[in-house]
Amino acid sequence: MPEILINLDHVTKSFQEAGQARLVLRDINARIQQGEVIALLGRSGSGKSTLLNILSGIDAPSSGRITINDIELGQLNEHQRTLFRRQNIGFVFQFFNLIPTLSVEENVLLPLELAGRLTAAQRERAYELLRRVHLFDRRHVYPDKLSGGEQQRIAIARALAHDPLLILADEPTGNLDATTGQEVLNLLDEMSRQAGKTLLMVTHSLEVARRADRLLSMVDGQLVEHSLAEVEL
Amino acid sequence: MKLLYRSSLRYLLRHPAQVLLAILGVALGVAVVIAIDLANGSAQRAFMLSTESVTGKTTDQILAGQNGLSSDLYAQLRTELGLSAVAPVVDRTISLPNQPGRSFRLFGIDPFAEQPFRPYLATLFNNQTDLQALLTEPNTGLISAQTAQTLALTVGQTLETRIDGQRRNITIIGLIAGGDQLSQEALADLILVDIATAQELVGQPDRISRIDLILPEEQRSAILEQIKPLLPADATLTTPAARSETLQQMTRAFELNLQALSLLALIVGVFLIYNTMTFSVVQRRGLFGILRSLGVTRRELFSQILIEAAVIGTIGAILGVLLGIVLGRGLVRLVTQTINDLYFSVNVQNIAIDNIQLIKGFGLGLGATLIAASIPALEAMFSPPRTVLRRSSIEERIQRIVPRLTLAGLGLAGLGVALLQIPSRSLFLSFSAMFGVIIGCALFTPFVTLQMMRLLQIPLNRMFGLLGKMAARDVVAALSRTGVAIAALMVAVSVTVGAGTMIGSFRTTVVRWLDQSLQADVFVSAPSLSANRADTAIDLRLVEQIDQLPSVASMTTLLNLRVESELGPVQLAVANYQDSSLSRRALSFITDAEQAWQGFAEQGQVWVSEPFSYRYGRGLGDSITLQTERGPQQFTIAGVYYDYASDQGYISMNRRDFAKYWDVDTVHSITIWLAENADSATTISQIQALAAPIQDLKVQSNQALRQSTLEIFDRTFAITAVLQLLATIVAFIGILSALMALQLERSRELGVLRANGMTPRQLWLSVLSQTGLMGLTAGLLALPVGLILAVVLVYVINKRSFGWTMQLILDPNLLLQALIVAVVAALLAGLYPAWKMGRTSPALALREE
Repeated sequence: MPEILINLDHVTKSFQEAGQARLVLRDINARIQQGEVIALLGRSGSGKSTLLNILSGIDAPSSGRITINDIELGQLNEHQRTLFRRQNIGFVFQFFNLIPTLSVEENVLLPLELAGRLTAAQRERAYELLRRVHLFDRRHVYPDKLSGGEQQRIAIARALAHDPLLILADEPTGNLDATTGQEVLNLLDEMSRQAGKTLLMVTHSLEVARRADRLLSMVDGQLVEHSLAEVEL
Repeated sequence: MKLLYRSSLRYLLRHPAQVLLAILGVALGVAVVIAIDLANGSAQRAFMLSTESVTGKTTDQILAGQNGLSSDLYAQLRTELGLSAVAPVVDRTISLPNQPGRSFRLFGIDPFAEQPFRPYLATLFNNQTDLQALLTEPNTGLISAQTAQTLALTVGQTLETRIDGQRRNITIIGLIAGGDQLSQEALADLILVDIATAQELVGQPDRISRIDLILPEEQRSAILEQIKPLLPADATLTTPAARSETLQQMTRAFELNLQALSLLALIVGVFLIYNTMTFSVVQRRGLFGILRSLGVTRRELFSQILIEAAVIGTIGAILGVLLGIVLGRGLVRLVTQTINDLYFSVNVQNIAIDNIQLIKGFGLGLGATLIAASIPALEAMFSPPRTVLRRSSIEERIQRIVPRLTLAGLGLAGLGVALLQIPSRSLFLSFSAMFGVIIGCALFTPFVTLQMMRLLQIPLNRMFGLLGKMAARDVVAALSRTGVAIAALMVAVSVTVGAGTMIGSFRTTVVRWLDQSLQADVFVSAPSLSANRADTAIDLRLVEQIDQLPSVASMTTLLNLRVESELGPVQLAVANYQDSSLSRRALSFITDAEQAWQGFAEQGQVWVSEPFSYRYGRGLGDSITLQTERGPQQFTIAGVYYDYASDQGYISMNRRDFAKYWDVDTVHSITIWLAENADSATTISQIQALAAPIQDLKVQSNQALRQSTLEIFDRTFAITAVLQLLATIVAFIGILSALMALQLERSRELGVLRANGMTPRQLWLSVLSQTGLMGLTAGLLALPVGLILAVVLVYVINKRSFGWTMQLILDPNLLLQALIVAVVAALLAGLYPAWKMGRTSPALALREE
């Protein structure tokens, strides 16, 4: 039986707005297994990105417990959460968010370097990822010379470079045309499944939802599980 | 190189204009500090070298009073006390007619007594030919090889000198080899002659300026006790160090004032760095968010930003040091000129480059850059690592802290004002307080900007429509950067207003004082090495002849001399009024004038000038003990008068009283009241004709003297004007950099506007109205702040530095000019961004980076 990677226990999050508290996440309880591909649906402003921020340790919950790979994030201070993130989390953003002042190759190497000294084996791993996203030949160019689809492929390679436990993708195809989006999705799905990584994707796309093992949605700050049929309806 | 640092470096390389301006800001700030330090240091070094060259290994000195020491005293020291290391010296500052503005030292020695004192003279004793010629041939002397080269003289040629207004020739019979570079420099203004030759040249046979002594440490006190009873009453026993310290103290306030002004340029530079670094952080807020998401720690981010700042700071500081050396070469002339005009003669041959000063300047530049950058670096460090950190949230935060900033500003300015109330004479405290007031006022800037923009929105909307309204709103929307740019410009302009008002007030005060004190018609003096002191004797035959001219109704003779007192050496002005009623109008007293004149004329009392009274804390009714030729004598102060001729101050004494205690029959200057219907031009010609065969005299009309006095005044403040200009240039670069960055950041917004039909002309209007508004805010705020600075400068800094009371004169033209400078600087700074954005296609501007 697959191991539980993420455990959310009565997690809430609220923000102060104009002197009043706005509850974004309400008493969320969930378990996610290792290697699962999960699509997270929901309307804009429903709290999907907040949940990703909390899972990655970028933000802390107002209450509740989050355990990832038996590490309770609430027990970590800000610095430890940063180190946790650099070791265990890979990010893919809607707007790619590559570092404009680093070349394609350097963008992929960055998480490896942040995690420690770069070894020849790690460098080879980065090159392998670049080959898999079919951009090895363009590894020396800067991101602004690439198309949106190419930039997102680099972002996927970067997210996998340091062999994280969990990949968080925030609308990875939201800024791409249908065909390119499909290609990127294939790549992300294939690479994370092959590597046995847990993938949590925030999406509005039915196509993305269809590929997921499980479908979750944020409704009124709560996490609700759906079948594909429900979603398609 | 680590990828993070590589990314930083590329960011800097991709924004060359921004980085260049920041580097230039640091460089100029450092350059001004270094230049002032080098100029001050070079003047000090020249003074020290010139002192050392004539002091050598001397441990103690007997200084003569007005009439010199008798040669008998020297003989007594050798025979009665059995001292062997004793050297008589005639030391006189002289000039060369063909080297105007440069002073030389006529140094008369006894070669046989010299050997233990001045090692550089060793070569002289090795060369028997020179030595013999020096002793036997009249009017012969030696100069250094370097001086000979500068003056294009060779051995055997004649050097024409002017001693006490009289031309005297000295034949150069040899050159002194100075050894190393330092000794060469020390000898640069020395004309070495035998003591008998010197006595003849200065017209005082058998008189000595001083006697140098080398006393063994263990017996020193005992020997000094033996010497004291042998000394004439007006002689002083001192050490060379104490003597040069007294002279150097004179220029300390002047140098400190310059240093404070140079620091202001650096403060403006710091604003610029802060602005640049803040902009670079704000510009990369998204990027830092991504990096934090990828696992970059706060500390790593902080060091990344600080390393960028260190790169900028290091390059800027290195350039600043180099630029400072170049600038220092120019400023040293201005500094030396002022020291010569106001204090004492000093020749600066070369700028002295002191490594410690260079390291200090470099450290100051780099340190200031790092401190300025640490604020935005901390901001970036503590920003939450959200992937999209909206700029608006940063601006909202800035706007939220505006009340706190304003309060902090009020606190700092209040602290400054409170410190100024402390009745201390410490200039360091006064300048610290003034900096507190300036920085405190700079912290008000965001608040004032917010209020101004709110007020201006409506009229701008009416005048320029939505674009005008947008300009005001954009200033507020980007307050994190506009606030700093406006503050930097405000500080620079307020310094211009403050210093300008102070100089204007000072000048007006001096003009009024001159109008009152220059009541006489013609002024006569012998050419002097100092521009504002008459200290060369006028031949007494001439004094008599002038007095007998039919056009001369009345005259006052003046004698200026330095005498020893319980307070150290002081300047004594001795006046002989033929008709004191004429002079009554010329002097303005702080104390009761009647009482002052009565005490002076009838009771043997003295007056002191205001700076003297302030410097030494002596006023009406107090007494001063002066070292006279008849021994120490106490004088009561009958009055304190306004005087702006010297910041060291004067004691004024009646000639009749002076004659009781000194046997000095010398006149240094004459003021003449003409008879009715007499013409000053004719009288001047007559006096010049009388003087021609005897002595060079400077004969000036009332108008000419007034003019030349004001020329000296303006020359004194030339360096202030240069520093002010440099601070404004740094501020201009600051605002250019800030506006450029701001407008380039708006490129997407402007692209959207262009896509929606905004014409390039409208774009120019939008950019320039925004920058113009910033300039207007800075200018308007600079006026009250500048006036506060002026009050502090006039009533506190100047009083504590120089002891002068000045009237504060407000010049509406200066205020208007300052406002125009601020607005024009801001408009000019907007030109490049407007031009650049106007040429950028909207499609390109709309693209994501």
